[in-house]
Amino acid sequence: MKILKFQLANRGAKGFFVILCLVLLGAFGQAVNAQDMDPDELLRRVDDNLWSQTKIIEGRLIVDNGRRERVLQMQTWMEGVERSYSVYLNPPRERGVKMLKARSKLWMYTPRTDRKILIAGHMLRQSMMGSDLSYEDMMEDKMLSRNYKSAIEKFEDFEGTPCVVLLLIANDKTTTYQTRKLWIDPEKKIVLMEEMYAKSGKLLKNVRFKGYRQTGDRLFPKKMIFRDLLKSNTKTTYEYDSIKFDAEIPAKYFSQSILKR
Amino acid sequence: MIAVVFNLSLLNGFQKQGTRNMVDTDAAGGHYVSPGFDLLDPTQWEDSTQIAPASLKGLPPLDKAEVLVLQGQIFPNNRLYPVQLRGVEIDQELLKLPLLGLKSKPSKVSDSIPVVIGLKMARKAKLKKGDAVVLKWRDRFGAVDALDVEVVDVADFLNPRIDEGIVWMRLDHLRQITSRPEEVSWVAVRDTIGPVVEMEFRSVDDLMVDLLTLLKHDRMNAFILWCILMFLAGTSVFNTQILNVFKRQKEIGTLMALGMNSKKVEKLFVLEGGLSSLGAVLVALVIGVPLFMWFQRTGLDISHLKESTIPVYESIRLDVRPGEVVASLGVIVGIMVFVAWLPVRKISRLDPALALRGKAIR
Repeated sequence: MKILKFQLANRGAKGFFVILCLVLLGAFGQAVNAQDMDPDELLRRVDDNLWSQTKIIEGRLIVDNGRRERVLQMQTWMEGVERSYSVYLNPPRERGVKMLKARSKLWMYTPRTDRKILIAGHMLRQSMMGSDLSYEDMMEDKMLSRNYKSAIEKFEDFEGTPCVVLLLIANDKTTTYQTRKLWIDPEKKIVLMEEMYAKSGKLLKNVRFKGYRQTGDRLFPKKMIFRDLLKSNTKTTYEYDSIKFDAEIPAKYFSQSILKR
Repeated sequence: MIAVVFNLSLLNGFQKQGTRNMVDTDAAGGHYVSPGFDLLDPTQWEDSTQIAPASLKGLPPLDKAEVLVLQGQIFPNNRLYPVQLRGVEIDQELLKLPLLGLKSKPSKVSDSIPVVIGLKMARKAKLKKGDAVVLKWRDRFGAVDALDVEVVDVADFLNPRIDEGIVWMRLDHLRQITSRPEEVSWVAVRDTIGPVVEMEFRSVDDLMVDLLTLLKHDRMNAFILWCILMFLAGTSVFNTQILNVFKRQKEIGTLMALGMNSKKVEKLFVLEGGLSSLGAVLVALVIGVPLFMWFQRTGLDISHLKESTIPVYESIRLDVRPGEVVASLGVIVGIMVFVAWLPVRKISRLDPALALRGKAIR
């Protein structure tokens, strides 16, 4: 009986030793990975996947304010980080509304009034069409790798995918969100989730990237779900129906003359 | 007469109380504002701040109050509520603000920012003393920031203009969280100190131009009412005098027969009219003085104006100005004498013989 107990205890000890080795090996492996992984390079690769010189996007902005859902269908032409033009196709109430972004200014044209309004300065910080996005958020298409310093915070599984969590600290004081966190699939170089923080460290917004699919030589998400975490039960989903990268966009799309009926 | 003086004094009282509330709580003796600053244009607030000039900064706490106004958003019950963040020097003694709750707080912001809100704001945002709520704002560089704020007091600001939509905090806290050291939107002063470089002076009248315009319109309405009252009173005196002359033809004839010329009889009748109006003044004093005294004790309840932006909602008391009363009475007596004289002009055309028989006027 004593021998049997000793054997079992011995086996238990062996098992424990094996598990300990595996854990240490895993941790060591991760440490090696963490050492090997250059966060700035990873962020650059992520940017390269998402960012292009020009984009033509057709999509829907689904604004859910917790009581009702509004779907805004829109088409957007983007060039670099400074110029973009969007036109709303649906619902009938918003049809024909156009937005033109040039540098830090945004013009909005409404067919009902047949007038264009300049949305500048602090107006850009207001909620866009009642969504969880500000005009500024919507216009923002900055390359994260150029605007933030990154560091690996941790490794963790995110919805079953092993991810590296990058902590991004803004390079300059004028960046809207001074801190961000990205959950990146290091294999595919895609972002699965992003969190935006206030300067104080308070979590403000959360973006989930869902339904990645092959678009040309890139993996691009089918939808992005924005949540303003200071509000309850609200979310804004940007669902892409089609997207073209590096397409030729005539200059007239970024001229103020396009803001008419 | 009572109605005219009452109406004027009530408007005076309204203006006096409104001005006093504005001066005590907000306007003081005027503001030195940052150029281009417009309180009605929140999108420009953040661009219209500047470092307080030394000439204003050096004034004692009894003579100036530095104020910084910026945009923010609070999220009571996870709903977005845009607010005006108003930071005021906590040691100032110029403005009567119920911010005692902030005075004892440390000057350095920790995990939560202490704030005071007004009764109206508390009701609309469904907040109460002791509540904590998230506040979001932008610093000077445009970076988003957020922290919890603690409502340390819900106070009665008397002036609805500095209540609804305003979150009051210590100036040092607001400057700290927005990275705007030494910056102000305006400096309220007890008295103007003349031109100050890079600041515009706005007088109390400029700061309450809307209320003064409103009162100007009210005075216009009061004047129309006064005209109607005068017309009615004048018509009544005029009719009385016509009747007087008609009924007292024999008396007029007798006086003329006794040697009084028509001018003297006319003067006699005008004197009668004048004395009657002086009698009316006496009656007005007898009735009016106790009435006014009673009214001064009770006042006119205008608490319903709490829901407006008019800076007065406590009971209105009359502000009786002697000069105005004398002028009003003078004008009233003058008009009465005039309308008493108008119908008696006929006397000069009367035939004394016919008047004696009571047949001069048919």
